[in-house]
Amino acid sequence: MYSVLVCDDSLVARKQVAKCLPQDWQVAVHFAKNGSEALNSLQQGKGQLLLLDLNMPVMDGYETLKAIKEQRLDTKTIVISGDIQPEAFERVTQLGAIDFIRKPVNPETLKQVLVSHQILAGDESGNTDTYELDPDIRDCYQEITNIAMGQAGDHLARIMNVFVRLPIPNVNLIEVSELHMMLSDIESHEQVTAVCQGFLGPGIRGEAICILSDSSFEDVAKILDIQEDVDDQVQLELLMDAASILIGTCLTGLAGQMDVNFSQGHPVVLGQHRAITDIIGMNRLKWRRTLAIELSYGLEGYNVQCDLILLFTEDSMITMNKKLSHLLEDF
Amino acid sequence: MMDMLQTVDVGIVVLDREFKVKVWNGFMESHSGMLPSEVRDKSFLSLFPHIDPQWFAKKSRPVFELKTRAFMTWEQRPYLLKFPNYRPITGNEQFMYQNITLSPLTSANGKVEYLSMMIYDVTDIAAGKKQLEALQVLRSEEEEQTNRQR
Repeated sequence: MYSVLVCDDSLVARKQVAKCLPQDWQVAVHFAKNGSEALNSLQQGKGQLLLLDLNMPVMDGYETLKAIKEQRLDTKTIVISGDIQPEAFERVTQLGAIDFIRKPVNPETLKQVLVSHQILAGDESGNTDTYELDPDIRDCYQEITNIAMGQAGDHLARIMNVFVRLPIPNVNLIEVSELHMMLSDIESHEQVTAVCQGFLGPGIRGEAICILSDSSFEDVAKILDIQEDVDDQVQLELLMDAASILIGTCLTGLAGQMDVNFSQGHPVVLGQHRAITDIIGMNRLKWRRTLAIELSYGLEGYNVQCDLILLFTEDSMITMNKKLSHLLEDF
Repeated sequence: MMDMLQTVDVGIVVLDREFKVKVWNGFMESHSGMLPSEVRDKSFLSLFPHIDPQWFAKKSRPVFELKTRAFMTWEQRPYLLKFPNYRPITGNEQFMYQNITLSPLTSANGKVEYLSMMIYDVTDIAAGKKQLEALQVLRSEEEEQTNRQR
């Protein structure tokens, strides 16, 4: 059982902090009225996580942090304080606190901090509201993707003589861990090829991942009207061409509606040009969440299964929301 | 401004729908040894007979018809145009590895009359990557050797 120690000189504050712990989190909660009490408990192994107030009698938060450092006690400390001067924040992080929460604590903030430090597993049981997209914005993104897809489908139908079954785009904010799962999934399936391509516009950055099942290949060759024999190298090139067309048409549609132009980098085949394990192995990714628009394509009369995932960085959303503000007003 | 086009270290070729050469920049001139006056309005495919015309037509079709870009990467095709290496004296590779982007050029009436071909020299990247792969192979062979001796 994971143990949490709440250290504060005020009874009300202790209760309040304890109440803010996630309801579904199975933990043993212990209390301490000052730093020296907290140290006693920690020495007895009560408190893998310490929620610490700064201003207390007998032994304050700073001294407690110092003592924890000196005695090499095994605990993670999150400071909870009304003192939010930058200097206080600086000092406690130097003394080894992993984070700082401002009083009064609310459950969302606490949960977010716990998740971000991997003390609490990410959302298995329903998302926290803080990670949810605003429904209006979600609808708006869904709508522009729909329009972009409609245009792309129309082009493809006219040029390639295929009818595209238009999927409903799925818009979500996803965590790093979810992307990792998705990529590991691609790796464990030998039957898919994933092509990844970066794109870039003013204030908007992202990557498009196109996942084609290898069983689609014969039909892709038919659609692209390839008669000659193909070796593996050519097969890969074909898949890249197909991916480029799907990614390109969709991006063109989105860019048109936002009145921007995207530059595109050269496409890479995941797992061939770049080992997926390398990507997954980078556990210190520089971002936490990304906006993902997922589309599942099907082509009428062909056995082509393809998933297109557009990932946008979180900061791109600011620009995108501005560009789409005229649409958002209608909602 | 035209100087930019001449001095930039990227090959720039503009082709019309019949693949006739309209623009041929300094990079192309230096590497192919053909002057812009020699190639203007000639068919690109006749200048480079080793390119499969059918394949090239298919590759450029989405650019004209769908206004999307098409890409060729050195991993699939080491080069489209066989140019000698940039560093003839110290370079290890025999030819220039190329990444190529075909982009549509939309005219005022919204139609795509021309495509631009950008040719990037990625020889150094390719050589580095090949070296790295060779080392990895070497290392795994050595590991096998030591495992066998145990």
